[in-house]
Amino acid sequence: MTESTLFTVAFVLYVGALLVYSAALFAAREKWLKVGLILAAAGFLFHTAALIARTVTSGHAPFTNMYESLSFLSWAIVLALIIFGRSSRVPRLGAILMLIVVGLVALASSPLMPKGATPLVPALQSYWLWLHVSVTLLGEAFFCIAFVSSLLYLAADSVEKKERLDALSYRAVAVGFPLFTLGGLIFGMVWAYRAWGRYWSWDPKEVWSLITWFVFALYLHTRIVMGWKGKRSAIIAIVGFLAALFTYFGVNYLLAGLHSYA
Amino acid sequence: MRSAWKFFASVKLAIVLFIILTLASVLGTLIPQGRSAAEYAARYGSLAGLFTGLRLTRLYQSAWYLAILLLFALNTVVCTISRFAPKWRRAFGPAPETNAKAVSSMRASSRFRLLLPLSTARDRVAERLRSRSYRLDESAQGGSIVLLARKRRLGWFGSDVVHAGLLVILAGGFISGLGGRSSDLSLAEGQTADVPHAAFKVRLDKFETEYYPQGAVKDWKSTMTVLEGGAPVLTRVVEVNHPLTYKGFSFYQTSYGWNWADARLVLELRKPSDPSFLRTVSLKTGERAPVEGTDVTHVLVRAFVPDFVIGEGGRIESRSEEPNNPAAQVEAWKGEERVFSGWIFAKYPDFGQGHGDDPMAGAKPGAKADAPKLAIILKNYAAAPYSVLEAAKDPGVNLIWIGCLLVSCGFFLAFYWPPREVRVVLEETQGRVELAAGGQAWKNREAFQSEFDSMFESIRRPE
Repeated sequence: MTESTLFTVAFVLYVGALLVYSAALFAAREKWLKVGLILAAAGFLFHTAALIARTVTSGHAPFTNMYESLSFLSWAIVLALIIFGRSSRVPRLGAILMLIVVGLVALASSPLMPKGATPLVPALQSYWLWLHVSVTLLGEAFFCIAFVSSLLYLAADSVEKKERLDALSYRAVAVGFPLFTLGGLIFGMVWAYRAWGRYWSWDPKEVWSLITWFVFALYLHTRIVMGWKGKRSAIIAIVGFLAALFTYFGVNYLLAGLHSYA
Repeated sequence: MRSAWKFFASVKLAIVLFIILTLASVLGTLIPQGRSAAEYAARYGSLAGLFTGLRLTRLYQSAWYLAILLLFALNTVVCTISRFAPKWRRAFGPAPETNAKAVSSMRASSRFRLLLPLSTARDRVAERLRSRSYRLDESAQGGSIVLLARKRRLGWFGSDVVHAGLLVILAGGFISGLGGRSSDLSLAEGQTADVPHAAFKVRLDKFETEYYPQGAVKDWKSTMTVLEGGAPVLTRVVEVNHPLTYKGFSFYQTSYGWNWADARLVLELRKPSDPSFLRTVSLKTGERAPVEGTDVTHVLVRAFVPDFVIGEGGRIESRSEEPNNPAAQVEAWKGEERVFSGWIFAKYPDFGQGHGDDPMAGAKPGAKADAPKLAIILKNYAAAPYSVLEAAKDPGVNLIWIGCLLVSCGFFLAFYWPPREVRVVLEETQGRVELAAGGQAWKNREAFQSEFDSMFESIRRPE
């Protein structure tokens, strides 16, 4: 199967997972949650194959333009959902995350995103491309889980649900923050030093990763040292994810800088 | 002094600083940094002066931003130190006063009797705890034995290691900022240059640009030789992502170009009326070359651009350094009289003529203007390529990597190396041992609970 066929099959399975998760909202059956997760995992396998096929045909890491990185980000979100979804048992989390994934995959497939595999400019020809981008996007996928569970926290009505969502949001940040720090900031600095001769240039993308980092550092400090929980924590996690989203999307389109490769 | 310490020991200060730093950093991405005064004036009008005065246009290098960073560093140091001692006691200190009742009220607990002598019971408990990698501290308290078992004690210090790493990174950043040196070297093949601030020279032996089949640049390769006192000591190929490092200096491939000002151009002169007529001249910008066998006595090149474009106000410019649309401004002279002046294009040889820019038109009033008598064609252009290498010295960079390593290790300890603690009180009464145990984990409590249960089950009923 070609990359686009695999990608399409993955998309269809993701839509299926979204529908089943949505149905589980109303039927409230454990079984449906399981089916949703299985569909998402099946989609994930096809998506993985699509990413591998892309890597083989293009000869480089599958995240060098917007189409590729959107595809990889949605893949990472599904991975995070599979890791966290089994234990969390929150139907709404699966439904909203799959909605985001379907949206991202649809955006990646839209005519707005050029899909052609372009040859790599010299600056991107480095194995740090793999490390820097994949680890950063994985971190952002966990921020996405924290974001959705925080939103659900704000909307939840029962104390028991709120507690579960609050803990889930923290667990996601506890995975996402080290990944983001390592991939986005540390690997980014190492690569920048090798490619440009300076590890930090105050480029808008760099500054926005630092801003994202500040927000999640604030989340951890207020939570661990000052004992903030619940609503205030949820709001900080939401702001943090929005900052990460702006680092990822907004900087490319709104602010010019060194990272304008896409 | 005391109140200053208290001020900096506050996490509230850290939170305020986080927020200020975030907002300031956002501001610096909204205002483009390090542009010219004219650009700011055009963009912000009367506010430009205020922005420049507040250093919002070089925000990340401004004294006030650096001052916030320094405050933040101080805050981190004081917060970390003031929280260190209790954690150290918790991790490495002696067993605190405790008793059977206190340990039984811990999060995980167990209480039972063993029909064993005290020392045997103690050995069994110690052996089981050690087999699970616990470190033991033993103390005798009022006739009973208290065992304090701890593991993953470094987990207590994850945040301290992260903080230390961040301070090292900040220090590295300041050293880079103060002691860093960087300069661009533009070198043609065979050229040798002094490296500013260094006692050695570098020579560019060879410079190649590789292209993809579709035409995009694949790579630039500069073969560089380091010269010490005129003698070559090291030869390397420098590429993007593969710098050359020598004696604290790193050489990065940053740019490339051609010395177009010194380009050698080949012009062909043809007569449409006489296909056998062909004259070829080779010349540089500003030079003139004689022409024989026609009314025109000589041609000269006024200007050359590699990528012709008509810019603002009709000015002729080069869009880039790439020879995408090479064009030359040529003149044809007949003795002291200029008979033609115009741009000719290497890729569009018919363009100049097609627009009636006949070199001879108007030369003779009354001549047939629609019959060009001489065509000038830009046949070839060649300029020496040069490679631009950045020579950089960054004395702070090693601290940066040490700091990054500390931050990574710290994160691992803080999130994935949670400490566990078990306390056991053994009391001998009437030939039996009363065992009371309590335990606590600071993360992943379910896993700890099962470890705790299986340990004490095996102490109670060994196989």
